[in-house]
Formats: sequence, C-alpha cells, structure tokens
Amino acid sequence: MVTAFQDISLDLFPGKVLALTGASGSGKSSLARCILCLEQPEGGQILYQGRDLLALSRAARLPLLRDFAIVFQDSAAALNPAFSVEDILAEPFLIQQRGISAAERRRKSRDALAQVELSPQILPNSPLELSGGQRQRVAIARALLLHPKILILDEALCALDLSTQGQIANLLLELKERNGLSYIYITHDLAMASELADDIIELSAGRVVRSGPAATFTANLQAGPQPLPARSAASDTVPGPEIPWTSNRW
Amino acid sequence: MVRTGQRLLHSLLLLAGVSLFSFVLLSVAPGNFFDELRLNPQISPQTVASLEQQYGVNRSFPVRYAHWLGSIANGSLGYSLLYRCDVGSLILPRARNTLVLTTAATLFAWILALLWGILEALHRGKWLDRLGGACTSLLLAIPDLLLGLILLALAARVTRLPAFGDGLGGAFGSPPAANAGLVSHLFLPVLALTLSVLPVLVRHVRSAMIAALDAPFVQAAHAHGIPAWRVLLRHALPAALNSLLSLLGFSIGGLLSMSLLTEVILGWPGLGPLVLEAMFARDTYVVMAAVMLSAVFLIFGNLVADLFLYWNDPRIRVVSA
Repeated sequence: MVTAFQDISLDLFPGKVLALTGASGSGKSSLARCILCLEQPEGGQILYQGRDLLALSRAARLPLLRDFAIVFQDSAAALNPAFSVEDILAEPFLIQQRGISAAERRRKSRDALAQVELSPQILPNSPLELSGGQRQRVAIARALLLHPKILILDEALCALDLSTQGQIANLLLELKERNGLSYIYITHDLAMASELADDIIELSAGRVVRSGPAATFTANLQAGPQPLPARSAASDTVPGPEIPWTSNRW
Repeated sequence: MVRTGQRLLHSLLLLAGVSLFSFVLLSVAPGNFFDELRLNPQISPQTVASLEQQYGVNRSFPVRYAHWLGSIANGSLGYSLLYRCDVGSLILPRARNTLVLTTAATLFAWILALLWGILEALHRGKWLDRLGGACTSLLLAIPDLLLGLILLALAARVTRLPAFGDGLGGAFGSPPAANAGLVSHLFLPVLALTLSVLPVLVRHVRSAMIAALDAPFVQAAHAHGIPAWRVLLRHALPAALNSLLSLLGFSIGGLLSMSLLTEVILGWPGLGPLVLEAMFARDTYVVMAAVMLSAVFLIFGNLVADLFLYWNDPRIRVVSA
C-alpha cells in the first residue's frame, strides 16, 4: 500500500485558473485522475461540493462528474484514431443527451469546432490526419461539449511547439472568459503556470509544499524554500484524511 | 489495387520458392520409396530397378520438378507410390477432414480466448485474473502428446465417446451435417486441439486488452463519462484487435498443419496420419502436396490478416492514402 496523497484541498473559484506544478512523479496527474474517479483509492475521501465522490454510486456520481472535463497531454493518443472527428465530437451527445437528433448533433459538433477556431471541413477526418495543434483544439472542443464547469488541463500544452502553445493558451483564456470556466492547469512549466494561473500549488510526493497567488509565487521561490501549509478555507472542497492508495497501474 | 496485385504476385513467387525448396530438400534426403523393396529377398534388384525406371525416381531433378509442376497444372498433384493413385484424389478428402477439425477447434478456441482474455484484463490483478493465469499456465505446461493421451484414456474409461475415425465410415462425400456420428467423433480431437491452442490465445488477448484499456484514448473516453460497456466494445476492443488480427492470420495459416499430432494420437483421418505415413515411406508427392497446401493456407491467412488490419486500423489506411 502506498500513501499517494495527504491533506490536499483545492480552492477553485468560477472563472479562475489553479495551476498544479511539481516534478515528475509528484502526483499532479494522479490527483486529476482521482478527481475524475479514473483511479479508485483504497481509502480516504474525494470531496466535491461537500459530497464524497468515492462513497457515491456510479449513477449518483455521474451528475457531479459532468461538472468536470479533461484535456490530456498527448492529443494524438487521447483521440481514438479509429473515429472521425465527427464521431469523437458526437459520442458525448450519444451518451448524455440520448434524444438528440443526428442533424442536431452535427450542428453542435460544428459549433464546437467553431468555438476552437477549426473548420467544419475536418469533421470526416481521422485525428491522425490533423496537426498537433488541430488535434489539441479538437480535444478541447470535445471537453467543452457538455458545458463543464471545471476543465482539467493535464500538461495540455507541453507536447506542442512554442507557437502553437501560445495560440492554444490564448484560446483557453478566451474560452474561459466566454464560458465562465475554471481550469485546473497541471504543468511542470512554472513560467507558463504563472502566465495563465491565478493561484499555484506545488506538489511533492503527494503533499502540498507551496501554494499562493501566481503573482507572488515566483517571488517566494526566489526567496528560498518556505513550505506553506495547504489551503484550509475550502469553499468547494474540504481537506480529506490521508489517502492510502494502491493501484495496479503503479 | 496496385498493392493487392503486388501482394498476389509476391504470394505466387513465395509459393514457387516454397515448392522448389521443399522439392530440393526431399530430393537430397537419402533413399527413395523403393529402398525397402531391396531388403525383400523375393524381389530381384532388376525388378526394383525396373520400378524405379517406370516411376522416374532416378531421373534428374529438373525433369522430376517439371513433371511435378505439370501434375499441379492438371490437378492430379503427382502420383502416390504408396497408395497407387493420384495424390489429388487422396489428399483432398483428408484435407477436408483436417479443415473440419481445425476450423471447429480454432473457432471454439478464439471465442473462449476472447471471453476469457477480456475477463482477465478487466479484472487485472484480482483473484479471477490469477485463477485464469494459473489455468493457462497449467495448460501450457501439458505437452500436446500427453493431453491427447489423457483425453484418449478418459474416452476409453469414462465416456462412451468414440476415440477413432470420423464417423462417416469413409463416406467422404456425405454431407457432414447429415451425419450425427461426425459430431461425437469430432468431440475429442476438437477438445484436444482447442485446449492446446487456447492458453496462448488467452494470454495474447489478455495482454492486448490490457494495453488497449490503458491507452490514453480509452482513459479519455472514461473521463468523458462514456459508459464502461461502450468504452470496452467501441474503443478498447477494436484497438486490441490490431495485434490479435495478426495472430488470427497465423491461426488461419495453421489450419492444415496445426493438428498433425492430435490427428495421429486420436485417430482422426485427416492429413496428419497420411503425411506421417508418406514421410516414413518417402512418398515424395504426397508430402509435397501437403507442404504446398499448408503454404497456400499460410499465405492466405496472412493476406486475410492484412485485409482485416487495413479494415480495422485507420493508421494503415492513412499511411496508404
């Protein structure tokens, strides 16, 4: 049994960006997977709006999880190559809005592409036929289809070249303003985190070692190591106990 | 279209190469069919020499090879010195029997392996997976020969299942489905063959499914709230099929050659016993026909696997385009 996380509480407010930073293996992506219930810890709690996601049945959990969406780092791998862009965008509707007609699905897919500044001409294409930037835009479009409140960006810009990184970052900021989204931005790039985020939390070995507003975070770093306590005044979440964690993936 | 033509041409060249290589190997092997006659004091050396002359076994290699190619063209596939008839009329009913056996066994093995392997992958690391792993290890550890003998002993002592023959009484032309005896005669050989190929298939299916279930797009589908059954059937299974289709090609390719030992032990009148007898007797053309039929199936299996892969894997289609 491995204790993967201890006393982690995230305060995320509407329209704000919270960056999670830390070295590889610090638990950033695993934390995101736990929030989305993609991993099942053997103990502890994952509290969202005061309700423990782990204690809920799948049916009871789903409406809460619809508030979340995720964009992964490697869009080439995160989009099923056997599906066309149209199939990828239509699938969430097939599952979560069953009554919707095919024409309506197509219209919504086109709207989603327009939102991320992509032409509807790519709808019949396979993700393999798109550039890295286009694929990441499709991944963002898919994530936004069901109007989540919180978008988790798991190293979503890392695999892109600098120019495309800038374009996608601007797009994300626009989408945030337009849709009132909140982001959990997972990255090891502190410079990009301080550009995009309102608050930054640094993880190490599953524990929060620093946290604070982005503007002061880099200044704190330059001043030397000063471990800060985890946030305790939770609005959406409350700190949970130590999470003993085993997973066959680790 | 061009690629298909190239593949077909490549297949024909491969067949020509296999035929030449096999013919060379059989020719350089010491002795021939008539060597045993020389040991019989009642047959004079002149008679043996006359028979060798009559059946052309002492002719040069190119002449014999050309003669054999001619027999391929007219469908006789050569002449069997052991059975005194055309190889074609001898081998085709036996090949049909082998195909009945191996097709049934392959079908059962794949269906079981897919269910078993997927179940193990979904319960990775849990007791069901460990139990399944132990069962496949046990099956892998039992040699085919021992498995056949165990089933033969069980058939003889415990069940009333027939342990020899095809239940058709040699009536090769009768429709198999019309003969109830065929099913009971098939049971043991199909079981033996299924159990011998099953563990390898299960392990491949399990590992392919685990790799597919760990694929980022499958994780992404879970994260977007797609139900587990749909993620399994629409995302993970098609992704796992890519590696399994190549294995299916080998299964199809091995349809004529996989059951030799099982047929011999359990007395199934397929190609196995015939080829074994022909090899011991140095009945060259029977062996050649069996080798060529196996090669045709192997090439056909690979072609089918390639076509399935093209259909299933969009990456190949994108590269081709």
